[in-house]
Amino acid sequence: MAGLEQQPLLTDGHRRDGRAYEEFRNVFLNTGVISQASGSAYAEFNNTKVMVGVYGPRQSERKVGYSEQGRISVDVKLATFATRQRGVFGQTPEERELSALLATALEAATNLASFPKATADVYVLVLEAGGAELAVAATAAALALADAGIEMFDLVTACSVSRAEGALLLDPTTDEAAREEAGLTLALMPACSEVTQLVSRGPWSSSQLREALELAMGGCAQLDALARQVLKTAAAEAATRRQQEAQRQAQQA
Amino acid sequence: MASPLISAAEVQWITAGVSFNIRNDGRQREDFRALSVQLGVITQATGSARVQLGETDVIVGVKAEIGSPDPDRPDCGRLVFGVECSPVASPAFRGRGGDELSGELARALERSFYPGPSGRAGGVDLSTLSIVSGKTCWVLYVDALLLNIGGNLHDALSVAAKAALADAKIPKVEVVQGEDPTDEPGYEVDDDPQWFSLYLYEPDYEVDDDPQQAQRLDVSRVPLCVTVSQIGAHSVVDLTAQEELCSSASVQVAVDESGVVCGLTKRRQKGVDPSVALEMVEVAQRSAAKLHAALAESLGGQQAQQMSVG
Amino acid sequence: MAAAAAAGQVDADTFRRLYPDDYLRKFVEQGLRPDGRPLAAARPTSIGLGAVSTADASALVKVGSTTALAGVKCEVVPALPEAPDAGRLAVQVEMAPLCSATARPGRPSEAAQVLTEQLGALLSSVVDARQLCIDAGKAAWAVYVDIYVLDADGSLHDACLLAALAALSSLRLRAVSIDESGRVQTGAAAQQQQQGEQLAGQQERQLALSCLPVSSTCGLYRGRLLADPTAEEEPLLEAQVTAVLDESGAVLGFSAGGTAAVSQAVVVQCLEAAKMRGKEVRAMLQQALQQAGLAADAAAP
Repeated sequence: MAGLEQQPLLTDGHRRDGRAYEEFRNVFLNTGVISQASGSAYAEFNNTKVMVGVYGPRQSERKVGYSEQGRISVDVKLATFATRQRGVFGQTPEERELSALLATALEAATNLASFPKATADVYVLVLEAGGAELAVAATAAALALADAGIEMFDLVTACSVSRAEGALLLDPTTDEAAREEAGLTLALMPACSEVTQLVSRGPWSSSQLREALELAMGGCAQLDALARQVLKTAAAEAATRRQQEAQRQAQQA
Repeated sequence: MASPLISAAEVQWITAGVSFNIRNDGRQREDFRALSVQLGVITQATGSARVQLGETDVIVGVKAEIGSPDPDRPDCGRLVFGVECSPVASPAFRGRGGDELSGELARALERSFYPGPSGRAGGVDLSTLSIVSGKTCWVLYVDALLLNIGGNLHDALSVAAKAALADAKIPKVEVVQGEDPTDEPGYEVDDDPQWFSLYLYEPDYEVDDDPQQAQRLDVSRVPLCVTVSQIGAHSVVDLTAQEELCSSASVQVAVDESGVVCGLTKRRQKGVDPSVALEMVEVAQRSAAKLHAALAESLGGQQAQQMSVG
Repeated sequence: MAAAAAAGQVDADTFRRLYPDDYLRKFVEQGLRPDGRPLAAARPTSIGLGAVSTADASALVKVGSTTALAGVKCEVVPALPEAPDAGRLAVQVEMAPLCSATARPGRPSEAAQVLTEQLGALLSSVVDARQLCIDAGKAAWAVYVDIYVLDADGSLHDACLLAALAALSSLRLRAVSIDESGRVQTGAAAQQQQQGEQLAGQQERQLALSCLPVSSTCGLYRGRLLADPTAEEEPLLEAQVTAVLDESGAVLGFSAGGTAAVSQAVVVQCLEAAKMRGKEVRAMLQQALQQAGLAADAAAP
């Protein structure tokens, strides 16, 4: 295989892209990116780019049946050019699994009783898969739900941790995750301090698991501050726009 | 067959019982139901096992076939998991109804067997399944069939998968140079964007049917899954179908014999405090030890029987 | 109909939702559109190249709110027996379920299938498949162009074609070399190998496009022509006309449909508008390519 694979991931306390072990990639979050959707968000963590659109709450499909609580239906899809090898157009089992895991992450944070019989459709499109797709998608989806005005108990932020070459790496890239001995993804409601999703692969001893969880929780808290900032800015902009509109209408009348 | 509906009074009853450490069938919170394992139930399969955990009944069959390895791990074999929810278990599984559940269970099983970057770290050492590095290997198709849903499918499936893999007898394979170099060329495309090769001929294989020559898999490191759920404020293991309707959050943990956590997934709608999550993992580790012991006893007895007969 | 409006107690937003036709008519009578544009103006357009690093080439195009992302992936495949000296160009348009309230996951909708057909035909005529051949009869390039509509706010054909075109214009096919044992190498390794023995090989090159077609959609509303209709305006139009022109003004594609008949005068008007739009868009595309080209040259050692 290529020579790049044989080089170590970590040198002198730094990763291949120059980050420290506990550093996130460059994070960019934005809401209101899709004009047609009730709520939308775009998250970019360097090479992982995810776009989420939320439609609803709207009428559930007939086959789903009656329910006293609302439902969140999640559909995750990777674009065909998102991975190094070209993907397919239909939904693969891995994508179905991602959808199920993401749904669990979001359900605990949403006030499902506020929209009985209805469904909030969350559509996730991964434009580029550069590592930690589930975590980035969860953060973006929670932002999109908030942007859509759906009642939530708390925001959800998520991050991934990999154990490779004996060290715990926060927010791994695809290369780092491919060489990991074990990895986990945590989705957290930071204010309530409740775990909404926890998925792990590979062997973890109890102490390693505890350490990794603490690292992930710290990471989620960082993301939470950023996400709240984004929502506040968006709300402030919307308020000024409405004010200007009202002024203009008052002038014309 | 458990009822899909449960009344508020029943939920209260079960929750209160759990807080007193007594469940409907007399068990304590961390007790498993009676486990019964039968090996070799499907004669045509490479290995098979039927497991009954209380009312839950599952059959797992393992079929070994020659295939090509994963381009990322050229000298390792592959494990492919499939779960089928039979309509026999529930009318809801008619047609495509069981697809979601079966996909979920299959992926969870797969995750507990995660082989790591070298392919050697997982429950089964995949490098023992390689035949010709980069070209051929054994692909083990582990297929499960759910016969009766009595709660706690996940744990029953993992026990059955381990038992079936222990029962599997992989035939011996000899590689023989291909006779005709002008045979239809096959080509293989590598995942690596740097190169792929157009092979000009394919070698031939001879599969030895002699069961005495068959290779058995080392399943000592295969993990078992334990589902731990929160009922009220307590962690409970091995829920019946009725108890599952009362639980708010559950964590599926795959633990191997030495107590190392090999895979973890959270299910269900409610969030849990991180310390509670870690506590549930500890409960899973304790219970897994008991489950491993019960399985080892069962397997040991049956394999001894097979050796004396064969 | 306009009774409630006459009462004067309905605010603009509610009126817009309850009586969309009246709302639009009020604007068009003044020679304007609801978003403030003159009737013949297209929405502000932007082209961003190289958005996705895992794709061999990509382009993100925004026409107003309509957003389309095209990604190109190239693979070396054995040549097809029926076309030994040609490669393959496969175009697919996918309306992601997040692009509009009517889109659903699963099988592609009719609109997506129509777009796929139209764009596939257009791009096959622009890119000669014979230039994708590496070694006649043995190996060739397969170029997959996948276009995702991320926000469906009207005039999808324009945005999708532009995205595909921008992506193909910025595509560089990697160097390829095949040695005697049939091993194919692409990229940097291929350039090294080309110094030594090889059966066939090619340097890194760009695709040659026979022309730069630009699509322009117009809608007919109460006898007036509206350029680049939005998703809000589209259901109210009596007819919709799409024209695809190249640099010389030759018509590569034309489609008209709707409830009203489209007269010859309208067709001529549309073609004129399309010519103007084409010039504008091609200039934008050249600028974007130059900027990206400059960036690429700076990055290469």
